[in-house]
Amino acid sequence: MIGVGNFKASDCSGIGRRSFLKTAAAIPFTLGSTNQVMEAAQAAQKSGKVKSVILLWLWGGPSHIDTFDPKPDAPMEYRGPFGTIPTKTPGMHFTELMPMMASRSDKYTMIRSMVTTSNDHPTAGTIALTGFNENAGPVQPNFGSIISKDQVTTEALPSFFYVGRGIPRDLPRRIEGYGGGTLGKAYDPFLVRADEHGEVSIPQLDLLKGITPKRIQDRQRLLKQLDNAERRLESAGIDEWHRTHQSAYGLLADPKARQAFDLTQESDKMRSRYGQTTFGQGCLLARRLAEARVPYIQVNWSEYVETFSPNCDFGWDTHIFNFELLQDRHCPILDRAYSALIDDLSDRGMLDDTLLIAMGEFGRTPKISNRAAREHHKDCYFSIWAGGGIEPGRVIGESDAKAEHPITRPITPLQVGTTIAELCGIGARKRAEMKVLDGGSVIHELI
Amino acid sequence: MSVSLGIYGYADEERITFDGSNKRDPIFIAQGKTLVYCLDETDDLIRAVSLDLSDPQSEPVPLFDDDRSHQTELAYSPDERFVSFSECVGNLTGKLVIRDLGAKKDAIINHSGRGAYRTPVFTVDGKRVIYAFAEKGPMQLWSVDLEGKDKKQLTETEGLSHWPSFTPNGEQMVFANSRENNYEIYIREIEGGEEHRLTENRIMDIRPRVSPDGSKICFVSTRDGNYEIYVMNIDGSDVVRLTDNEERDDFPSWHPDGNRIVYVSERDGQKDIYLVAISKPIKVTAK
Repeated sequence: MIGVGNFKASDCSGIGRRSFLKTAAAIPFTLGSTNQVMEAAQAAQKSGKVKSVILLWLWGGPSHIDTFDPKPDAPMEYRGPFGTIPTKTPGMHFTELMPMMASRSDKYTMIRSMVTTSNDHPTAGTIALTGFNENAGPVQPNFGSIISKDQVTTEALPSFFYVGRGIPRDLPRRIEGYGGGTLGKAYDPFLVRADEHGEVSIPQLDLLKGITPKRIQDRQRLLKQLDNAERRLESAGIDEWHRTHQSAYGLLADPKARQAFDLTQESDKMRSRYGQTTFGQGCLLARRLAEARVPYIQVNWSEYVETFSPNCDFGWDTHIFNFELLQDRHCPILDRAYSALIDDLSDRGMLDDTLLIAMGEFGRTPKISNRAAREHHKDCYFSIWAGGGIEPGRVIGESDAKAEHPITRPITPLQVGTTIAELCGIGARKRAEMKVLDGGSVIHELI
Repeated sequence: MSVSLGIYGYADEERITFDGSNKRDPIFIAQGKTLVYCLDETDDLIRAVSLDLSDPQSEPVPLFDDDRSHQTELAYSPDERFVSFSECVGNLTGKLVIRDLGAKKDAIINHSGRGAYRTPVFTVDGKRVIYAFAEKGPMQLWSVDLEGKDKKQLTETEGLSHWPSFTPNGEQMVFANSRENNYEIYIREIEGGEEHRLTENRIMDIRPRVSPDGSKICFVSTRDGNYEIYVMNIDGSDVVRLTDNEERDDFPSWHPDGNRIVYVSERDGQKDIYLVAISKPIKVTAK
């Protein structure tokens, strides 16, 4: 673990109690001509404008109708208990749970017409992150793995990070489309996490007992320790050592790389802006990784989808306590962390070449369940896009009066992945060469 | 209803916790000597803790032995022999606990469905627990005895009903309901069931709690742009804003002396518990 202090957490203040720790409708998207779209895509591709992608992965299926696509005129059994508030985008309203994001809607563009093809978490998760359903054989690569393969850096830092507790899963099984898939495990994500106090840990290094960045005095000692660890792991039959070794070694041996993880380099004020939560500090870490030019960073809201189960870390799967947890926990955390991140990226001039996306794997049933909550809903959900050449302050797509289905052209996860690739300079020819995102099209309304 | 609105600002405020972790549901027990609240102990566990306010060096300690269940929304019987809270012990298996602290025994409540139990409170005579539960759709208020039996449905309304609270004489119940498109606060006569709406805003008014003397109600509202704590008379008149922070102020509860309110305030991204007096306004701004 990289000890970075307690984020003002141990401030006892003398009392001695230490830490206990523009209208979517108003601007109906104007489709340019085919040529215009091609030109825009080609320009983005030519410039390779996007240097880093940050995906805020809202795992579990966040309720769209209770957050970013409220329907106050829908029948009682649909609309839910929350009032609506205006945003900076004329005509667009959110629920009152998202006031900070509402006041920043001029910085991002909202898609309200996402659809997918599965209501099962791991399956829909794979679709959302790869564009394709799970196959009997190797699954298609995660969008991050595609970017990772194309933009392998010469820096010590891996090119695809997961920021979070583990590979996303539900209680029965983990998501299949988490990593390299058909591109191979070499393009799996490298896992790192930040706790609520901003302490960063690298789970891969948990295998290497006794090795912490703080204790590394010199390269020779590190190499010796790593070699010893390699022998231990090999004898234990643990494979993938080479990659772990390389990644871990690179991270530990390179002061610049280590610095990317050191949240103490940030002021208390900055760390506070993101909120004292694992997701908030994870977003701050993602900004630092983007600053270090890591091509793809996926910040996982949680490891588990389950929202209120012991040992599970409060995913968005709100079959129970939907309204209560959104109000008391999930939305305040997201509202704050997203707002801090987009402000931070904007203030640093990073939005020009950093693409920020927030989405989950599906939405939730607009009709309220017998448990006064909401179930899985694949037929309509949202995604939020900022930076990377995306024109902000708009709404793309529109859902029907009950938020059950898009009434405009549905947008799919495959289009999400294709658009990310295009903005990162991976055009159709290169995608074909890589044998990825076959059949995908760009969400031209965004570009 | 016509109301006057004022802002007290920071009046005699005391900070009680300093760790900044996510916390909720603070209430006083033991004549105000102990504070009980729920805390994110880890990133996958919400746990009830107690804090001895008589010792400035004290640390919060877990209230119960069970360290693998989420525990929220505690309520104590008037004699503090019983405690009730919402607990989650497994996936989609929420339950309401009524625990006899003397006999060390839990009551079991049977409902059809697997809805979530919320916001328990004891009746003034200490003989029953009122709580929110969704059995067939809308969240309704229910009542059981201390053994979890003799179940009665108290409300049958549209929308979600939450946060019941009683006047000291037990004759009226205050609660919030979302039938009017968002949460509003209502007061109901226990005998006869006559009901009056106390708030009217296009956004939420939630978590009402009747003061110990029965004259006032503290509650949370987003009417001024974010979550702030307010106090109004029991009839809904004279609404006064008690907090004025850029971030969230939530989960208010009365101190037993009736002159102060404990609440969770988020400041600079950190959530801690504060105690504020309502008797000495610094600033009053009529609206």
